[in-house]
Amino acid sequence: MDRVEFDIRGQMCPSTFLVALKEINARADILREGFVKLCFIIDNRDATVTIPESASNMGYAVTVEKKDRYYCIEVSGKRD
Amino acid sequence: MSLFVHPYFLIGIISLLLGLAAGFVMHRSDFCIAGMYRDLFLFRRTVMIKSFMLLVVSSIVLFEAARRAGLLSVYPFPLLYPPTAANPIGGFLFGVGMVLAGGCVVGTLYKMGAGSVLSLTAFAGLICGSGLYADIHPAWIVFVRKTTFFPGKITIAQILGVDPVIPVLAVAVPGALLLFFWHKRGALIRPAFAAGYLQPYKAALALSLIGTISYILIGMPMGVTTSFTKIAGFIESALFPSHYDSLAFYKTMPLNYVNALTGAVLTGGPGPNYDALAAIQIPLITGIIAGSALSAALLKELNIHHRVPFRQYVLAACGGTIMGLASRLAPTCNVWHLLGGLPILSASSILFLLGMLPGAWLGGLLLVKVLAKQGVRST
Repeated sequence: MDRVEFDIRGQMCPSTFLVALKEINARADILREGFVKLCFIIDNRDATVTIPESASNMGYAVTVEKKDRYYCIEVSGKRD
Repeated sequence: MSLFVHPYFLIGIISLLLGLAAGFVMHRSDFCIAGMYRDLFLFRRTVMIKSFMLLVVSSIVLFEAARRAGLLSVYPFPLLYPPTAANPIGGFLFGVGMVLAGGCVVGTLYKMGAGSVLSLTAFAGLICGSGLYADIHPAWIVFVRKTTFFPGKITIAQILGVDPVIPVLAVAVPGALLLFFWHKRGALIRPAFAAGYLQPYKAALALSLIGTISYILIGMPMGVTTSFTKIAGFIESALFPSHYDSLAFYKTMPLNYVNALTGAVLTGGPGPNYDALAAIQIPLITGIIAGSALSAALLKELNIHHRVPFRQYVLAACGGTIMGLASRLAPTCNVWHLLGGLPILSASSILFLLGMLPGAWLGGLLLVKVLAKQGVRST
């Protein structure tokens, strides 16, 4: 599975969320087929709530991991 | 008089401590008032706005309890005025500005404390906007006087000629019932993944307590924007001294009250002097920035990233400038009106809120339009 990474640290609210949503929607087909996994690198605490909430509502699997000084939100194909 | 018994020293220390607590709490819960209103209109998200309602309702109850206990020496607090058409106009512009800037006046401060370069840009805009007002002040003050609805009356209770407890109960009781209903349904809880996250309803309760302590000890709830004007005045006086001398606004001294804690008469205005307003607000501003920085540092989230799309810098600068100007036109900002004036049911604060709502809606539309055109690089 390919992994596409987006570094969107430092951006204003709600740009982080809008960028993530746009990229998820642009790759909806290959995401659902399981060909790709998207990783959003963010430092916006609010987006650790809004991105997983929306991606999850759209039926994707989402994980949030705190790394050194940033968060990594991974969005992949459908949940079980 | 010794430095340590000077009233400015005592109120400065209190403001600094309150600011530290507020900045810490705001960072932990990302208590962004601009975001609450923006997301309500853009994404129909309501959890944060419910927490904001909790903040207002709990402040209504705490302020009234403090008043009835005789703890509020000045009621209504200083720098609140009778309602005018300036309130909704200023509120509307403020709503647009805060959404474009990515944070209101205190949102900008706590985000700046956590290392946001965009918020630093918005802060510079706030200073510019505050300074711009000085040039239009003579004309605007005439407009304010001509459109004052109830001269000499500030709160709804004063306008109706009743005891403040009556309108306070009329708002607080249904508000508390609604909040209790949301609480029972779990509608005040946000699923969170951020480290050290403080649920917004807890932040709301903490901020209402901080505001009440400020009102009791300082004589006013939290406020920051006059200091932005002071900074603008200082810069203007250094760069354009003759123009600065011609501006009447910087010579006004609207603050004049007796601080019950120290017994001192506190006076101050927007001019770049170290007066009571500076003694109260500058430590508060410093505290909010430092409290947020401390919270971010403890979580290892103190980051400075300047490589963001240029259009976001433009948005932050424009939003900050509009917000700075609006906070003088209104007059004063969302924190003063919504966390201070609204809890005592000040008519001007209610009008400010009514103007701010469509402003935040329009700001959200503009923001999305501008952000939609930016690109993002992937690896």
